[in-house]
Amino acid sequence: MQYSQVDAEAKAVARKFDLVVIMSTFLVLIAGFHVHQMLVAGDWSFWIDWKDRNWWPIVAPVLEITFPAAVQAVLWTKFRMPIGATFCCLGLLFGEWMNRYINFWGWTHYPLNFVFPETFIPAAVVLDIVLMLTGNWIVTALVGGELWGWLFYPTNWVMVAPFHVPVEYQGSLMSIADVINYMYVRTSTPEYLRIVETGTMRSFAGGVTGVAAFFSAFCSVCMYVPWWLMGAHFFGSTKFFKNYESATAEVKNA
Amino acid sequence: MAQTQTTATAVARPPLTAFSWKSAVVAIGALIVFDVLINVYERLYALAKGLDYTSADYTTYWMSMLFAELVMEAVTAGALWGWLWMTRDRALERLSPAEELKRYWALGLFVLTYTYAAYAGASYFTEQDGTWHQTVIRDTDFTPSHVIEFYQSYPIYIIFGVGSLVYAMTRLPQFAKAFSLPYAVLVGAPLMIFPNVGLNEFGHTRWFMEELFVAPLHWGFVTFGWGALAILGTWLQVCPRVLALINHIYYGKPIQSPAEVMRDPQSSCDPAACVACVL
Repeated sequence: MQYSQVDAEAKAVARKFDLVVIMSTFLVLIAGFHVHQMLVAGDWSFWIDWKDRNWWPIVAPVLEITFPAAVQAVLWTKFRMPIGATFCCLGLLFGEWMNRYINFWGWTHYPLNFVFPETFIPAAVVLDIVLMLTGNWIVTALVGGELWGWLFYPTNWVMVAPFHVPVEYQGSLMSIADVINYMYVRTSTPEYLRIVETGTMRSFAGGVTGVAAFFSAFCSVCMYVPWWLMGAHFFGSTKFFKNYESATAEVKNA
Repeated sequence: MAQTQTTATAVARPPLTAFSWKSAVVAIGALIVFDVLINVYERLYALAKGLDYTSADYTTYWMSMLFAELVMEAVTAGALWGWLWMTRDRALERLSPAEELKRYWALGLFVLTYTYAAYAGASYFTEQDGTWHQTVIRDTDFTPSHVIEFYQSYPIYIIFGVGSLVYAMTRLPQFAKAFSLPYAVLVGAPLMIFPNVGLNEFGHTRWFMEELFVAPLHWGFVTFGWGALAILGTWLQVCPRVLALINHIYYGKPIQSPAEVMRDPQSSCDPAACVACVL
């Protein structure tokens, strides 16, 4: 009886520490991942008229496989928790939606149809499952990283497709996305600043998205590796710098 | 592994009430209320009084806020860090296990508060600035949203982050004598976002007029944002010691003494401890 009470107390205390660790990690990862995403891929995430078929499916997956890889490196190897990527991407989505709704729409009145963010949840679930099933981060880099790039455009297509319906606007062919951009004035993002596919003399019509996704997947594989290593060996390091006494003692002994 | 002291006798257990959420609820609740009020202030006065830097209204409603918050932040930081240092524990080697576990709980709540402040600063108010950039063509580095984002929300989380590190260094044997690499990165990298504002504003003043978010000028912030990942290493240092304390206090298992932990904190974070956690 006495023992079971103590046991219950110990478990209650441990559960509380679990919650603190999980909540604080989630919050600070939103902060870090969001500031990273915003400043390396943000423009494609903010505006529907930047969500093209060439640059968006390259930039977004390549730069957003970073935090998932690093977090997987710790959550999987130390705790066998197969949720690293989803944990990060859920946080990112939360941070983005809080802003798009409260600020982009609520404060400065850009319609949500214009400013909704991309999603990585489906690709993140796949990445986590590949790691869980194989238990091997090299295989996850190769297979999961490849799937991460490929899956991005198809899993976002359902949200983007309605905005690619063509319209004739004042004698010009435009997509709905272009018209939205044209109508809702942004002071500091002129059209020429937009980094979207403009066509080249060396590209083949219709082959853009597949090639972009394939290339993006290859780059995602390459990004996964250093970010896993950074997560495992730098951010997840438990190193303490030696204190003064022990450092001095070592010198004396030597 | 350093020598461990074993005990079969009952160890004092902290009361369950010692592990209350109250202080974090109060601190984070106050921050949320404050942030909501700041949003209300922005909605009331950003478009009404904040569009023209040269106007008298701008000075009243926005520049006064900037100067007031800078002063208050400096005072708060000095007072909090100074108080934590002055009231430091000077006899850490005599710390009882129950007291040490309670202090880890306090540290956890401190870090939790810090991470909320980091979320508000780096995610919420930073992307909020993104939409303000699209709404006005700015005539100053101190736009209403910069007054809030750079000079208010960043300093607030820096105060909490550094504060939690000072708490750990002055109250917990693990962090008392040696410097934790991941904790330094966790607290130091977001802190470096603030000086990076200098580069950002200089660049925007001198050569980038448009608001391309992915401009190379902004990438400095990104590298410092990565520091958030160091919470993983910080918890990997803390968790094994907390587990050891729980196992010692409630199940009478052997544990390293505070003096041993202070001498060699690395030895207190057995990497296998978290995997083997069965609590």
